[in-house]
Amino acid sequence: MAGTDVAAVTDYAADIVPVLPSRMNRAVIAVVRIGVGLLWLQNVGWKIPPDFGRGDPPSGLYLSVSHAVTSEVFHPYARLVERLVLPNFTFFGWMVLLLEASLGAFLLIGLATRLWAVIGVAQTVVIMLSVLNAPHEWLWSYVLMLLVHLALFATAAGRYAGLDGLLRTYWQHSRSLWARWLVRVS
Amino acid sequence: MKTRDALDRAALVLGVVSMVSALFVFVHGNYQLVQIRAAGLVVALVLGLLAVVAGLLEERALTLATGVAFLLAAVVQLGLLVGSGSGLLGGNASTFSLWLGLGVGLVAIGTVPRPEPTEETSQGTA
Repeated sequence: MAGTDVAAVTDYAADIVPVLPSRMNRAVIAVVRIGVGLLWLQNVGWKIPPDFGRGDPPSGLYLSVSHAVTSEVFHPYARLVERLVLPNFTFFGWMVLLLEASLGAFLLIGLATRLWAVIGVAQTVVIMLSVLNAPHEWLWSYVLMLLVHLALFATAAGRYAGLDGLLRTYWQHSRSLWARWLVRVS
Repeated sequence: MKTRDALDRAALVLGVVSMVSALFVFVHGNYQLVQIRAAGLVVALVLGLLAVVAGLLEERALTLATGVAFLLAAVVQLGLLVGSGSGLLGGNASTFSLWLGLGVGLVAIGTVPRPEPTEETSQGTA
């Protein structure tokens, strides 16, 4: 019984102690989250449907993704892009647009932030595999993108000046599966 | 004195964000975070104002309705992009992203049930 009590107290303490106890640190991580949201939000603007830059000469997203083949980073990924992505580019262009627009939207308002931070990491890796060896690219810009998404995940950044912080209490008291899932991804 | 619920304040802030985004009608080039033009300016201002009013009046139904309106505007903007142009709303994918965020945020706020009002307890003077 004593062990159970200790566990209960420990869980309770984990619930009430914020990840970032300092008000200044919380403000800074909120600014970082909003900044990263704006990064995605602005950069989805140059993904222009319906051809996404597929043409002669290629431009925009099509040119960016085709660097995976012309300036190969990782051979299996280059083959995947060459054989699957580029021939079906309208579909993949829309997927990129919807994904990056959602990254901007959800990170900006701080909703389900840890989930979107992980998706941001994955999308950054995909971008890296496409453009890392392309001319005029700077390795560290993508590494920084990767690291900042990891920081958003580790700090649960949506809990500070974000909707996660406001809504978690309601989700925690709800019995619905949806609410429980939101608690986990916030 | 009754203090405004944090969720109503959040609705107010999202409305202010929308109204501030209208300033990007004057911004071009690298500093244009979101493309606001044409009827999109009206969407940003009118729906932003509605969200602010919803927050001030603590009207969750209006918050929810404004969120749904933002989502509809986002879907229309996306539909206009399919037609390979900015169209009537004058936006691009960044406009879609912003309105998606504002819409989802306001809907999330608007669907949270208000707590049941509790009876005020009189403080006795022993």
